[in-house]
This record gives sequence, C-alpha cells and structure tokens, in this order.
Amino acid sequence: MSSGDELDLGLGVLDHQLVDSEGRNCGNVDELEIAGISSGEPEVIEILVGGNAWRGRGLFGRIAAALSGDAVHVPWSEVDEIGAVVSLKQTAPELRLGRGDDRAAKWVERLPGA
Amino acid sequence: MKQFLQIALGILSAIGGFVDIGDLVFNTQAGATFGFQLLWVVVIGVVGIIVYSEMCGRVAAISKRPVFDLVRERVGFSAGLGTLVASEVVNLLTCAAEVGGVAIVLKLLSGLPYRALILLGVVGVVVISWVLPFEWLERLFGYLGLCLLVFAVAAVKLHPQWGQVAHGFVPGMPAHNHAVYLYFVVGLLGAALTPYEVYFYSSGAVEDGWGPKDLRINKITAVIGYGLGAFLSFSLMIVAAVLFLPRGIDPQFLGTPALGAADALGKIGLLLALVGILFAVGGAAIETSFSGAYNVAQFFGWQWGKRRKPSGAPRFALSWIVIFVLALGIVMTGYDPVKITEYSVIFSVVALPLTFLPILLVANDPTYMGRHTNSRLSNVLGIVYFVLILAIAVSAIPLMVITNGGQG
Repeated sequence: MSSGDELDLGLGVLDHQLVDSEGRNCGNVDELEIAGISSGEPEVIEILVGGNAWRGRGLFGRIAAALSGDAVHVPWSEVDEIGAVVSLKQTAPELRLGRGDDRAAKWVERLPGA
Repeated sequence: MKQFLQIALGILSAIGGFVDIGDLVFNTQAGATFGFQLLWVVVIGVVGIIVYSEMCGRVAAISKRPVFDLVRERVGFSAGLGTLVASEVVNLLTCAAEVGGVAIVLKLLSGLPYRALILLGVVGVVVISWVLPFEWLERLFGYLGLCLLVFAVAAVKLHPQWGQVAHGFVPGMPAHNHAVYLYFVVGLLGAALTPYEVYFYSSGAVEDGWGPKDLRINKITAVIGYGLGAFLSFSLMIVAAVLFLPRGIDPQFLGTPALGAADALGKIGLLLALVGILFAVGGAAIETSFSGAYNVAQFFGWQWGKRRKPSGAPRFALSWIVIFVLALGIVMTGYDPVKITEYSVIFSVVALPLTFLPILLVANDPTYMGRHTNSRLSNVLGIVYFVLILAIAVSAIPLMVITNGGQG
C-alpha cells in the first residue's frame, strides 16, 4: 500500500472508502485526475467520485457511467490522511459528497422509528 | 457475559447460514437419494466455511474492513461490479427461497392460504428487522433456530446402522449415477460455503467493533457456530437416509424433513422441527437481505450498518427493504421455493471465487494485517479450498443442466 514517503496509488488510494471530517462514509475514490504526465512531473490533482468517473474503469464501468450523471471532483488538497480509508478535511455536504444518502434520508425519515 | 453474547453471532450465522433452506433441501435430498454416502461432503464444506469465516472475521477485526470493501479494492471497479451484480442476484434468489420457506412453514402450522402467508411473512420479517436491534435479531433467530436440534434426537431415535453412517464419512463414488452424485457434491458444498454468510459475518464483526482482543472469540464462533451447523446437516441427511430412501420418497417439499422428526418423536417432534425451520429460514431471509444491502453500500461507499438508525444509513435501509420487496415479487409468482433454492445454491457457487480471493489476499497482506497475517495452516487450507471452489464453480452449471437439477 504505502511505505514511508511512497504511496501506491493503485493499491492504496484507488477504490478506497472516502470518509469526511465527521466520520461519515461519503463515496469511494472512483478515479484520480493526474496532471503533468507529459512534463515528467506527474501530480494527483483531484479525486473523482461517482457518475462518469467510472467511464475508464472497464466494460462494467462504462455501462455504469452511461447510466449515471456527472462525477463529483474533490481537490487533492482536501485529503487529510490516507490509511485504510481516505479521510477528508471537510464535511460531505461542503464537498458535494453523500448527496444520495441525503436525498434518501428525506424519504426514510418519514417512516416511524427511523 | 459479553463474550458469551458474541458467540450468539456465530450461532445465528450457523443456523441461518449453514442450515438454511439450501441445507434443508440439499441434505434431505442427498440422504433420500444416496443414503449416508455424501456425509463426507458436509465435513469438507464445514471446514471450508470455518477457514474462510475465521479469515474474514480476523480481517474485519484487524483492518476494520468488511468483505465487499476488499472485493472492490483488490479486484477493481469492473470485476468488483460484476461480482456485486452476481452476488446480489444470488442474495435475492436466496432471500426469495427463504421467504417462500417461511410461508410454507406458516401454512403447515396454520392452514391459511399460501399467498396470504407470503405477504404476512415478508411484512413480519421486515417489521422485526426494522424494530429489533442487531443483538435481539441474533438472539431471537439464533436461539429459536436451535429447535432444529430435534433432528439430531430424531436421527438417534431412528437407530441408523452406525457402521454405515461412519462409512459415509469416507469419500467414495457410487457404482452408478455418477453425474447426479457429483451434482449433489457441488450442491452440498455450495449450501455450506454460502457467500452471503461471509458478507454478513464480516460486516457484523465490523459493526460489533471487533478488534485484536476479539480474535479468540472469532475462532471460537467460527468453529462452534459452523460445527453446530454441520452437526445439524449430518442429522438431516441421516434422517432422510433412514426414512425416505428405503420408501423411495423424493423430498421435493420443504415440509418433508419435518415428517422425519414427527416419525421419531411424534407431534412435539413435528412442532419443534417446524419452529426450528421457521426461524432458521426466517433468520436466513434477514441475513440475505442485509448481506445484499451491506454489499451495495460498501461497494459504492455509502453509510451502512444495522447499528445506525435507518435515517443515519438511509440507502442501506432502503436497499434491504427493496430486496425483501423483490423477493416477495418472485415468490408471489408461485414458483416453487425448493426449485428457487436449487438455482440459488448452484449460482452462488459461481460467485464464490471472486468473493474468497480478496479475503485470501488481504489476510496475507501485512500492511492491513500487521502480525495477524495468515498462519501456514490457514494459507494451505485457504489455497486448497480456493482451488476446490474454482473447480466446483466451473462444474456447477454444466452438472445442473446434465442432471436436470439432480433428477437424473
């Protein structure tokens, strides 16, 4: 995964759980936006979550992306810590993450005992 | 006391998972078709589920990661999504079969119309799952499912030829009917190595907040829980072998195993058997619907967990309700739950390799596991079982077609 200053993006970041500053699960690292490859100084600039972020993730990814909306872009600078999960510095609503849970909560909250 | 309660997780898993409608169907049919000859397969199946459950419980305790999280991380989005779809289809089919089983037992107990009881059964398990906390679900279904022990008493009271029973634990091949025999070998292994059981066990361990101190309890629950499950499987097969094989009875009906208990122990035996079956299949219906919700929530990174209030994990809560509603729709078509069970078990075998491989990989990864990586024994058994799983995954569907679902 990672050791010292080295980080395996494929194994240690991609497809990992995103957790916001309040400990809430708010999606997965579905794709990474990397800049500077041609200049020889590649740098991760964004995490892409959901929707068309799945487009580059194989056949099933293309199908899933075709059925979904736009991805949410989270600047790499918002990453607080990388361990078993990727922790973020802000809350999910501030980063426009976890909106599906927020929408579903409006329905579920109407049920008794929810 | 707390440790004792934790064992309940294993007991629920054993009754609901090891002995669910798949085991009731395959063990009884195997006993009625081949007598004691397939008892050895149950031993192989139970050792396999103990090995992988212990592994995924340990991974959950140390890395705090449930199985589907690891599936996604290790096999990537596309293969992970394929595994998710396959496992959700199997979860749904299994949930439908269990719900049908609940309705059949309720019909035998009450005599009311089957379709009304399907609806009543589903509403009942949804309300119970919504209202009761995780611990109470474990206790209610785990402990009342123990009524299935009546089959062990029945097996003894029917006085089988114990020498022949012992011979059944030695692997062998009958003189004829090879394809049907192999179909039952695959079916019995599939019924023992259910993937939903692994999803539920590991997610439950994460929800229970297991840590390194719980590793011992993990081993105990895996061995005792599934050992108990195997004990019940032996009993079902022995009862069917003694009662149904000599009379040429083909147990195509879920109520048939209960008749075995009635023959040996009278009315009280019948009642205990039906109550045991009701709670075993009811508990398994809840486990399959929850497993489906755990999987999809973990794959997409949603909030999940039965310990959270539904409003705190809303898509997770809606997911398990949707699985119950879809299962209701399937059973309402009138398709025989026993047939649905056979399909769900055989298809679950196909989804097994991509479920078990990430567990095996992560259990060997010191960056996740520290000093708690697999022992040499766990690895040898893990690899042997993975090869076995691959072999049965490849042969499951061809055998089902060739043997016309075990009918020969």
